Amino acid sequence: MRIGLTLVLLSATLATAAPHVPRDDREVLERLPVRPSDPVAAELRKLRAAVAAAPADPTPAIQLARRYFDLAMAQGDPRYVGYADAALRSWYPNASRHAEVLTVRGLLRQYRHDFDGALEDLAAAAQANPQDPEPHAWRAAIYMVRADYPAARRACAALADRSSELRATGCSAYVDATTGKARSAYDALSAELARNSAAPAGLRLWVLTRLAEIAWRLADARGAERHFRDALALDVTDNFLLAAYADFLLEQNRAADAVALLKDWTRSDTLLLRLALAERALNLAAAEQHARALGERFADSAQRGERLHLQEEARYLLELKGDARAALAAASENWKAQREPRDAAILLKSALAAGDPRAAQPALEWLETTGFESRTLRGTADALKAAAR
Amino acid sequence: MRAVLALLLAALAALAHAHKPSDSYLAIRADGSKVQGQWDIALRDLEYAFGLDSDGDGAISWGELRARHAEIAAYAFARLRVRADERPCTLAALEHLVDQHSDGAYAVIRFEGRCEAERFRALDIEYSLFFDLDPTHRGLLRVETPKGTLTAVLGPDKPRLSVPLEAASRLAQFLDYVGHGIWHIWIGFDHVLFLVSLLLPAALRPGARGWEPAERFAPVFWEVFKVVTAFTVAHSITLSLAALAVIQLPSRLVESAIALSVLLAALNNLRPLVLGRRWIVAFAFGLIHGFGFASVLADLGLPQDALLVALVGFNLGVETGQLAIVALFLPAAFLMRRTWLYRKMLFVGGSALIALIAAIWLLERSLDLKLLPA
Repeated sequence: MRIGLTLVLLSATLATAAPHVPRDDREVLERLPVRPSDPVAAELRKLRAAVAAAPADPTPAIQLARRYFDLAMAQGDPRYVGYADAALRSWYPNASRHAEVLTVRGLLRQYRHDFDGALEDLAAAAQANPQDPEPHAWRAAIYMVRADYPAARRACAALADRSSELRATGCSAYVDATTGKARSAYDALSAELARNSAAPAGLRLWVLTRLAEIAWRLADARGAERHFRDALALDVTDNFLLAAYADFLLEQNRAADAVALLKDWTRSDTLLLRLALAERALNLAAAEQHARALGERFADSAQRGERLHLQEEARYLLELKGDARAALAAASENWKAQREPRDAAILLKSALAAGDPRAAQPALEWLETTGFESRTLRGTADALKAAAR
Repeated sequence: MRAVLALLLAALAALAHAHKPSDSYLAIRADGSKVQGQWDIALRDLEYAFGLDSDGDGAISWGELRARHAEIAAYAFARLRVRADERPCTLAALEHLVDQHSDGAYAVIRFEGRCEAERFRALDIEYSLFFDLDPTHRGLLRVETPKGTLTAVLGPDKPRLSVPLEAASRLAQFLDYVGHGIWHIWIGFDHVLFLVSLLLPAALRPGARGWEPAERFAPVFWEVFKVVTAFTVAHSITLSLAALAVIQLPSRLVESAIALSVLLAALNNLRPLVLGRRWIVAFAFGLIHGFGFASVLADLGLPQDALLVALVGFNLGVETGQLAIVALFLPAAFLMRRTWLYRKMLFVGGSALIALIAAIWLLERSLDLKLLPA
């Protein structure tokens, strides 16, 4: 009896602790992102078999790694980057002899925010295969993240010599739109897209996302909406497109549309953040639950010693938790590695909320030197300057 | 140009990305003679390693997982080497559970390690789970030792951790046993019920027509003080004697006698036999309860090098637990001493209920029966 009662008490305290034995064999514990019968799964099986069949040939390994990398990009799932790394790893000791191994390793490195390593691999790949435009395109993108616009322009010029007009224009428009020439960049890119309506869906998706963002920046909400919708209609899963459109919807006070867009995307941190923000705006009960899940994921990454989503973490801290000081610390840390408009925006906002205009100085300088056009960002910057006085 | 290139600039703009990379959570507790642990491994990773979704419906059910438990344990333990003082420990699963982490469901393996070294001063942990399949996988390790807690992130570049396990400080050991003592009083219902039986009449005094409310607090307080002190002194004596192996009694006899003591104490409230000098009753039965505490202390494992520390710590913990109960009960009883709730419900009803429970215990323990559902 004593033991019995003790057990009752113990199990009562353990009920809150999580490890448990499910009661029913039919209880579903986990839903997999890919079913064995999905075409993607079949494709991966075929690629893996090809790797096994030709161990002396890097080509199947490269193809498998690329397929995994695409999945990581589409779904925002870093596990696929690990699988890609494993597929390619046996070729790393001889990477200098295979330009494409270098390129793909560069992609994997940039995904993990090893930008120096990635630039090195991509430079080596460009040297080993001078005709390949791909390393230049990636280098341009990394320089954009680092806000090194002269280097980004050089990479775009190298790309222009090796690639189609649409890609080259896309690359330079991307730089121009961030450095105060949004209107001309928009016109050039939309004209180029009109001339290339048969371009591959993936490329059109990218161009449309860029056009939407530039239009939004130019306060052309209807144009932005149209581009976002055209991009979504291509039916190519893209984590970034969904995040960008959700940000747009949130700013337009269209939280209900954002919830409808993202309700099935809770696996992705970037999208879960936007979903929780939209639910909060609508006073939905799910907001708290999603905010808590997000907090747990950030705590888990901190435990791992990696904070790859600092921009999102800062937004979570500021907009969901209301902890301006912690948000400012995360946003400042983030700015050291990533300096895109969204990174500047969260640094400015959290500095304003924390009443610490000096911490926003790097982003204010960035705004000044780039001439970046965005009414929202300029408004925050003006408020910060007023607060500093 | 490949279709991949089409996505690339967009992808880069989204550098701040989603999901969690693959991690497992490995907690190991080691104290120089025992190794125990819990390992949480993501179902998605197990699925990727050797396929759990046997019916191919894109979901992993408990049945599918359960069927593979032995295989999972074998796979995992083949990728975790634990060595104590340079000699191997064999890991074996104790139970398989399931837990939820921020990125999905995890298989939870509770395990123990049987080490060739009986007592050891250092533990070496070498981790290689999933590194062949996903070099970005990390083992988030947490080792609890008597010295404190250590954490490490194990990856292909740093797969090992060495943990020194020096003996715990005397103070830490002492506090540990104080904690055990408090916990034991808290969950040791027979001791609590005995104490409560003795305390129930505290705010009352025997009058011409049975129990009457006490007038002043001071006599009530001193009465309780005497009772609790007598109980404490008595069980301290026998606890020490038993722990030092001076006297040993069969546990069935001790447990039955404890039940009898509770029964008698409760009945004494209903039909008073002993009115004054209840501290003598407390002392006499306290001797028996001390043997009960001693068996708990023996179950905890007494450190031979720190016997006295453990004994004093445990005893002090028991007293602390007792005092907490008294501190809660006494003022409340005194304030309510004139109410019907106290005099009828708590005093009479409570005593009767305690007597009933104690009687059942007595039958169970003396005849080795099972009457109450566990």
